[in-house]
Amino acid sequence: MIVKKYKATVEKIENVIEGVYTVTFSSNGRKFQYSPGQFLHIAIDSEYDGIGQWPDSRCFSMQTSPNEDNIKITYAIKGDFTKRMKEVLKQGVKVWLKLPYGDLFTRLHDKNHTVFISGGTGITPFLSLFTDSSFVDYQNPVLYAGYRNKNFNIYEKELAKASIINSMFKINNVYEDEAGMLNIEKIYKENGNTPSYFISGPPVMIKLFKQQLLAFGISESNIYTDEWE
Amino acid sequence: MADHKQLRKEILEKTKEFYQARFGENNYSPGKSRVNYAGRVFDEQELMNAVDASLDFWLTEGRYSEQFSEKIADYLGVDNVLLTVSGSSANLLAFASLTSEKLGDKRLKPGDEVISVAAGFPATVTPIIQYGLVPVFVDVDQETYNINIEQAKKAITDKTRCIFIAHTLGNPFDLDAIMEIAKEHNLWVIEDNCDAFGSKYKGKYTGTFGHLSTISFYPAHHITTGEGGAVITNDAQLARIVRSFRDWGRDCYCMGGENNTCGKRFSQQFGNLPFGYDHKYVYSEIGYNLKMTDIQAAIGSAQMDKLEIFGEKRKENFRKHYRIFSKYPQFFSLPKATEGADPSWFAFIVTVKESAPFKRDEITNYLNSKLIETRNLFAGNMTKQPAFVDKKWRIADNLDVTDRIMNNTFFLGTYPGLTDEMFSYIEKTVDEFVTSF
Repeated sequence: MIVKKYKATVEKIENVIEGVYTVTFSSNGRKFQYSPGQFLHIAIDSEYDGIGQWPDSRCFSMQTSPNEDNIKITYAIKGDFTKRMKEVLKQGVKVWLKLPYGDLFTRLHDKNHTVFISGGTGITPFLSLFTDSSFVDYQNPVLYAGYRNKNFNIYEKELAKASIINSMFKINNVYEDEAGMLNIEKIYKENGNTPSYFISGPPVMIKLFKQQLLAFGISESNIYTDEWE
Repeated sequence: MADHKQLRKEILEKTKEFYQARFGENNYSPGKSRVNYAGRVFDEQELMNAVDASLDFWLTEGRYSEQFSEKIADYLGVDNVLLTVSGSSANLLAFASLTSEKLGDKRLKPGDEVISVAAGFPATVTPIIQYGLVPVFVDVDQETYNINIEQAKKAITDKTRCIFIAHTLGNPFDLDAIMEIAKEHNLWVIEDNCDAFGSKYKGKYTGTFGHLSTISFYPAHHITTGEGGAVITNDAQLARIVRSFRDWGRDCYCMGGENNTCGKRFSQQFGNLPFGYDHKYVYSEIGYNLKMTDIQAAIGSAQMDKLEIFGEKRKENFRKHYRIFSKYPQFFSLPKATEGADPSWFAFIVTVKESAPFKRDEITNYLNSKLIETRNLFAGNMTKQPAFVDKKWRIADNLDVTDRIMNNTFFLGTYPGLTDEMFSYIEKTVDEFVTSF
């Protein structure tokens, strides 16, 4: 899909957990166009007028489905750019978004049995698919979502919508303070060698889980990761 | 020091004035000025955009490239538009992309056969030969000048992998039939849409049916950027492969001036390179550098705003030619739009009947002597061209109609620069010639 620049307005900022922000953007012109699982670049440089060279930007998964008017992203403060985002992004502020990027779900994959594994805000690209009408095409999809504790699971509304779209959807929330971290061996034993495995979350988790799945004998072509630096 | 924004504004105002002074007047004089078969049609906006882009001095793909691509994507209702340096390069890129190892068993390999026609422009066929595949030439229909569907069906063998044909002079080929053949035999389809930008088939734009399609922006075409072209596809994987072939074969898909749009520039494994090798310098195809400049795109963006009007004017001019030549049905075979098609005609094509008392070259020589430009249907019969004579190709059945076209057919322009005064002159000249027999 062609990458386009969109002037957008910050409609809402939710800060349910310390240091984690969910921002909703509306387009100031044309409708946002993207596919589930894709990501955007956000530029917060107030000098940028949409014409000159694209300024410094960062990428974030879109957690909304493409048929919604607005786009939602969630970010955690981790570096200078996200610190500036916290300062700059206020309700009503105009920013520039450039999208769509990425091919997480547009790559050919088997939809007969799909396992989604997420750590923290890594669930966001999956939400974009889960809340899209195309999610109905997946047979027996299973989610393993790891959170630090229950407070970090701020996606229940989206997951409830996903269960309505696909009644076969099985959700496993794993809270670190109760059950420990996500256990890839356990996930593998419950699902075996045949499914498509999608992994999204912190780079260390992705790298480790992918290595272990490969060691269990899963083909590399059946492992899909959404990893950024 | 003067403010650069103010200076830019003044320069653009002056450019507008320059347009009026240099190009504003129509100096056509019948019999003294040439009636070209094609030509660039533009106003001050193209000139201003070109100057504006020059003042940016960004030069390679930039803001105008984005704008131009978006306008094409919105017009055709497609997902991916990859700008390139010419329609022929677009054909090369579209075809090359299908040879990518990323396509697994579906990729085209040397020795595979590709269905095409010999009555056309070589750029549709040359990529097939350049990549070591075998063009299989199918004859065309005398009235539509497009591929003969019955012969195309018979041309399919177990080696056939792709259909690569043009919408001849803007007239869409039978897309229903071709797409059905492709589906039945699991073939790739590339629509060479270079001469048909804006044509429709059953209400849908040509160039949006096949897996890939191409557009040309050479001055003779529906819109122009001087040199220029584009590859169109709705397939995300093919778009990425085309981009890679266009941009040196690199794996990274950032535009000029962009970095790390994938967010994992330094954290991937490719080939035998060390882990984390800079993605910007990872090459996953044997590619070219065929990117359009921003100055060309700036002109193209202004031209896109006129495409619809240009298309209407082309249709109107086609009707005017039709009226002139239909006065002599005993001498000329006239073109017919494919059933279900609404062509944005590239040209008006005429075949001199075998029974006519004159030959094609006699009328074209006469028209050209009267400063009315004509053209043959490009290469005529490609198999007889010096570059193709000793190459590996196959004729599906016979090329009887193709040979007739090579000997008896010519075309006149339909471009939007033609005026009523020019048409009066064309009619008078054609009448003079025909009534002399």
